[in-house]
Amino acid sequence: MSSFMLELAQVHSAYGNVEALKGVDLNLSEGEIVALLGANGAGKTTTLASVTGLVSPRSGRIDFEGQSILGARPEYLVSQGLIMVPEGRRIFPGLSVLENLRMGAFLRNDKAGVEADLDYVFNLFPILATRAKQTGGTLSGGEQQMLAISRALMGRPRLLLLDEPSLGLAPLVIRNIFDTIRKINIDQKTTILLVEQNANLALNLVHRAYIMTTGRITLSGTAAELLNDESVRQAYLGG
Amino acid sequence: MATFWICFLAFPLVVFKINANTRSLDTRWDRLYILAGSVFVLTFIWRFLLKRRSFDRLTKVVNEPHGSAPKPTWLTRLAKSRQRGRLLAVVLLSMCVLPFLSNPYMVNIVTSALIYVTLGLGLNVVVGVSGLLNLGYVAFYAIGAYTYALLGYYFGLSFWVCLPLGAIFSTLLGLLLGLPIIRLSGDYLAIVTLSFGEITRLVLTNLDFTRGPRGISNIKPPSFFGLNLNGTPKQFLIETVGFHPDMDLNRVFIYFIILAVVVLTIICVYRLENSRLGRAWLALREDEIACQAMGINRTRAKLTAFALGSTWAGLAGVVFASQITFINPASFSFMESIMILSIVVLGGMDSIPGVIIGAAVLILLPEQLRFFSDYRMLIFGALMVVMMVFRPGGLIKSVREVYIHQASDSKPEPRPVVTALSTMEQGAEDD
Repeated sequence: MSSFMLELAQVHSAYGNVEALKGVDLNLSEGEIVALLGANGAGKTTTLASVTGLVSPRSGRIDFEGQSILGARPEYLVSQGLIMVPEGRRIFPGLSVLENLRMGAFLRNDKAGVEADLDYVFNLFPILATRAKQTGGTLSGGEQQMLAISRALMGRPRLLLLDEPSLGLAPLVIRNIFDTIRKINIDQKTTILLVEQNANLALNLVHRAYIMTTGRITLSGTAAELLNDESVRQAYLGG
Repeated sequence: MATFWICFLAFPLVVFKINANTRSLDTRWDRLYILAGSVFVLTFIWRFLLKRRSFDRLTKVVNEPHGSAPKPTWLTRLAKSRQRGRLLAVVLLSMCVLPFLSNPYMVNIVTSALIYVTLGLGLNVVVGVSGLLNLGYVAFYAIGAYTYALLGYYFGLSFWVCLPLGAIFSTLLGLLLGLPIIRLSGDYLAIVTLSFGEITRLVLTNLDFTRGPRGISNIKPPSFFGLNLNGTPKQFLIETVGFHPDMDLNRVFIYFIILAVVVLTIICVYRLENSRLGRAWLALREDEIACQAMGINRTRAKLTAFALGSTWAGLAGVVFASQITFINPASFSFMESIMILSIVVLGGMDSIPGVIIGAAVLILLPEQLRFFSDYRMLIFGALMVVMMVFRPGGLIKSVREVYIHQASDSKPEPRPVVTALSTMEQGAEDD
């Protein structure tokens, strides 16, 4: 039995005839922040989708806390504390900020805990508290991303999967969000898998990282190692 | 410009009239002038309204740069005012008194309006709340009606046995139909449900045991504890409260049954909408992938919406059968589905008072305006277009319960965290 929180071994996934993942090996220990980096179409999002059950892998092994979650239904995974912030935020534009957050706690029954977590995310992102009654669609891009992360936190995740939280946001906003991600990791002991294109930013945040190219993990190591790696600097950090 | 165009289009329709007796073509030039005049005036009104609307928008943008909640009109205020409870009581009371003061005709049309309210509220769960476009809703209505008619015809089962049975049958059918098609969305779902509605009608027309297009007549009215309502109780009522002597008390009883069904439906739908399941439906309408990420079972949530919506149609169907005492497949044409859908859209998607008003407008108005009956569909269409332009949310927009959260002790100060975010003005959240 492995001691990893999440472990992927030789995972193959495909959309029809197009093979998106050609044997991905990846693991996370409890309390870590790990980044999954790579260019467009490398298979980062498919990897996340395979973990969360939105795509069923052709073959391979995916274990969450020693249990196989291959082919598990998304709602089961959420109940187990494996929660994803989907790419492109995907908040509910017609629901208010507060309702969005309550949707995040959809599967929970402990009222007091939910209220406490609402306080927590409002402290994390005070701007959301001032916008609580507005509908999600009226928020700015950065606020929407904060809302999406907060919504995921409302489900009390033990493993949080973040799909490109920096997508289409201003650098200043990205910095704020990344600071908060670190805070969540320290405060809540939440394990985080971060999928990013912005390698420079991500490597300054995470403990370890994997680099994907065309459906395979091509490089992995600690953040410091990768930051100093000549090939990584060439390919992802702009020399 | 528009005037000339319409006159040109309508020219052959309006001006020429085939005279069957003399086999000649009569011209009616006077009508052309009337048409031209009225279209001209209507165009002006239309332009004026459009202009006023864009002006309203502009001033709103200037006054409230943050685009907060739109100014409450009297209709939305009605929907959420504090006196809502009192208003409801008054409406309910007047509905209860109505049959004792008016004539049989009035009771009949209000009964059909109430049936449509039930149908509208049921469809509202499917279309308004969950966003599943169901164009074959009438099929479930037919199932309910035929359940009562057939079981009564062959086995002599009473209304009270058939009322729950009709609801159960249509729910089951909803589940059965829902299972394969719930994975479809948007246009595809609409087409499948549309054909399902037509198939149901055709099956009812062609099966032997449903007596085909001849339909089933002499459907019994519901029994009131086995009492003959038109005997002594009626005499008593006529003498004491001046009851209308032509009134059939059985019909009054049906009226009260459907009134009770409507009240029950409103309570159920209201509770549902504000339940966890209701919120799941709302969220599902907005974003399915995000819903899955929240741990909502997509298929199950959609299926319950679909089946629960059919339940109300079944209930309404049973009452309908007992009201008109004769049903045949022609009562359940595609136009009925459209009618119910119009009620929901006109009244306001996902708004209970909206659906009630919508049903009242669309069912009662044509009755009052018999004069225009030839142009009913035309007026309908025009009404829809006007509605979509001026009140796209329906007559009464939905006002949902506001979930409040009291920050316990550490009320977070709205300090400007990131300058990039505070460029948007804060405030305007309170109402």
